[in-house]
Amino acid sequence: MRRWPVIVSAIVALGALSGAAAYQHVAPRHHERTGAWQEIAWPFPRDGWPAGKAFRCGATACGGDIEVYVRPKMGFCNCDRGVADDDEVDRVADLDLLSQHFAPLAPGDVVRVADMPGRIRAYDLKMSDSSRHAAIGVAVSRRCDLLVAVVHGKGEASEVRRIALAFLATSEMTRWMTAAIEGR
Amino acid sequence: MSGRLKLAASFSILFLAGSGIACAQQQVIGAPPESLNMKLVGTSDLQARSGYQPTIHQQGDRWIAYIGHHGGSDDIPAPVNPQTGKAEPNGTSIVDVTDPSQPRYLRHLPGQEGKYEAGGAQMVRICDGKALPKGDHNAVYMLRTFGGEAHEIWNVADPANPVLITRIAGLKDTHKNWWECDTGIAFLVSGAPDWRTRRMTQVYDLSDPAHPQKIRDFGLPGQEPGSTGAVPTELHGPISTGPSGNRVYFGYGTNKGGFLQIVDRDKLLNGPREPTADNLRAPEIARLAMSAFNGAHTTFPMPGMPIAEFANDKDGKTRDIVMVVDEAILNECNEPRQMVWFADITVENRPMMISSYTVPEASGSFCQRGGRFGAHSSNESMAPVFYKKMAFISFFNAGVRALDIRDPYHPVEIGYFIPAITAATDKRCVKIDAKDRCKVAIQTNNVETDERGYIYIVDRANTGLHILELTGPARAVAGIR
Repeated sequence: MRRWPVIVSAIVALGALSGAAAYQHVAPRHHERTGAWQEIAWPFPRDGWPAGKAFRCGATACGGDIEVYVRPKMGFCNCDRGVADDDEVDRVADLDLLSQHFAPLAPGDVVRVADMPGRIRAYDLKMSDSSRHAAIGVAVSRRCDLLVAVVHGKGEASEVRRIALAFLATSEMTRWMTAAIEGR
Repeated sequence: MSGRLKLAASFSILFLAGSGIACAQQQVIGAPPESLNMKLVGTSDLQARSGYQPTIHQQGDRWIAYIGHHGGSDDIPAPVNPQTGKAEPNGTSIVDVTDPSQPRYLRHLPGQEGKYEAGGAQMVRICDGKALPKGDHNAVYMLRTFGGEAHEIWNVADPANPVLITRIAGLKDTHKNWWECDTGIAFLVSGAPDWRTRRMTQVYDLSDPAHPQKIRDFGLPGQEPGSTGAVPTELHGPISTGPSGNRVYFGYGTNKGGFLQIVDRDKLLNGPREPTADNLRAPEIARLAMSAFNGAHTTFPMPGMPIAEFANDKDGKTRDIVMVVDEAILNECNEPRQMVWFADITVENRPMMISSYTVPEASGSFCQRGGRFGAHSSNESMAPVFYKKMAFISFFNAGVRALDIRDPYHPVEIGYFIPAITAATDKRCVKIDAKDRCKVAIQTNNVETDERGYIYIVDRANTGLHILELTGPARAVAGIR
C-alpha cells in the first residue's frame, strides 16, 4: 500500500518534467538569441486578446531602438481568404496598441512569416508625445487563426522592416510563433 | 494527515477528476434529446446543410420557414440535393411548416460557392408585397445574402418556385440585415469595397424591390474611405424600431470589444450622406461599450417594458431594454464566455448593463462536449406571443435556452432543448499538440419563433431544423394555454 504514494508522486513529477521540457522546447530561449534582441514585458493593458511577446533591439545593434510585439489571435472570420487586403492589416495588426493615429506609407506587400501567408505594411505613427515613428504591421494566418506583429522604431521604415523581418525569421521566433498558432 | 488519509484524499481527487471527464456527456447517436419544459414537434434534415438564420412567414394559410445556410464543409463542399440529384452549394432551404409535426421540404435555392463563412446564403428576411409601399401585392419578397458578394431579392409567392427580382452586388462581405416591411427601408450589412471594414451598413429603400434605391453608406468614424488610424470593430447587424420608434440599434463586434450603438433613424435616413467622420457621427445618440471580452451579435430592443418590481415607484416604472447577445466563435471554450446581456437604455445617453445570463457550464460539462459553447443569437420576432415575456437564445452545444425576461433585471432560465445528434452531425475540432482532436456535438446556431408560439432552431453542424413547443410552466410564462 505504501508504494502507491511514491508511484503517484513519480507520475506527477514526470508529468511536470515533461511539461517543463515541452515549454522549454517551444519558448524562445534567451541564451540562444543574439544579444541584439531582448525580451521585455508586454507593455499594454489587457484587451480582447491574450498578451503576446515583446522584444527590444537597442541602438548599437539595430541603429536605433526597435520594438516588436507579436501575438496569436485565435479565431478569425476569414478562414478561407486569410489576410486578404491592406485594410485587414490596418484592422488587426495591433497598431492601435501603439497609437490611434497612424497612416500607411504605401500599399502593403505579401509576406510569409513562420510559413504562414499574409501581408506586411509600413506606417507613419504619431505617438502620444507627438513624435513620429516608423511602424510595420504584419498579419499572417493559418486557417481561422491570425498571428500579428507590430514593430516600431525611429529609423527609416524600410530599415525597421528589414530588421524586424530578420528577427521574426530566426529559428527561435519561428518555433515560438508556430507553437503559438497551434495553441501549444 | 496520516499517510493513509493522504492516500485516500489523492484517490478521491483522481476519482473526481476522472468522473468529471466521464460525465462530460459526450453526445452519442441514438441518445434522446435533453430538455426541460420544451418538447420536439417536428424536424427537417435540411439536406444536412449548415444552418444559419431561420425566418418563418405566414403566406395565406401556409407557414413557410426560410433558412439561410453557411457554405459547405471541407468534407462535403456542396451536398447533393435529393430533389434534383445534383450537388448544390449551400443556399436557402424553403420548408413548409404549416403542420410543424410534418415539415415539408419545398426547395433548395443554391447560394455562393465556398466553404463555411465564405459561401452559402446565410441571412434571410421576408416581406409581403402588400405591406411594402410600392411592392407587387401578389408577391412575397425574400431578401437574402448571396455569400459575401451580393444581396438578392426573390419573389417567393410560390415558395417552391422562387423568382429572382434583383441583385445588389460587388461587395466584399455581407451579414445580418434588417428590412422594415412597412416602409421598405433596409439596413443591409455589406462590405462596400472602398470602406476600411469588412462589414458596415448600406441603407437602401427597397419599398419597390425591383428598383432598389440606395440612401447612404453608414459606419463608424474611422471605417470610412480615406480615413487613417485605428479602425473600429466591424458591424454584425442592426435592428430598427421603424418610424414610430425612430431608433436603430446596431451591434458591433462579434466576440470581442463590442458595443451597442443607438442611432436616430430619422437623422440616419435624412442627414447628410457623404461618409465623413462628422456625418457618420451625427445620427448617433449613444454607445454602450462592452468588455473587450465580449461582442454584440444581436441587439434586440424591447422598449416600454413594465417592471413589476418598480410598479410602486413614482418614476421609472417602465424601462426601455435592449437584449445584447454575444457570439461564441471558438470550440471547447477557448475564449472568454460569450453570453447574454440586458441593457437599460431608458435614459438613452446613459445606457447601462443591468443583468446577464449564461448557461451554467457544469450543468452539462459543455466545455468538454465539443464544438462551441456560448451564446450566438436570439429570436428576433416581435410577435406578441413571446415579445417582452420570453427570449430564446441559441447556445451552440447547449442547444436553445428559454428565458423568462419579464423582469429583465433578473432573467431566469425556464426551459431548454438540446437536440440529439444524427449521422449527419459534423465534427468540430481543436488543435492538441498540432493535431486535430475532433468531437461531434449539436451546434444550435440560430433560433426564431412564429406567431403561433413554435420555436425553430437550426444547427450549424448540419443536424437540420428542430421545431419545438413549450411545455409545463414555461407555457404559463408566455400565456399559452
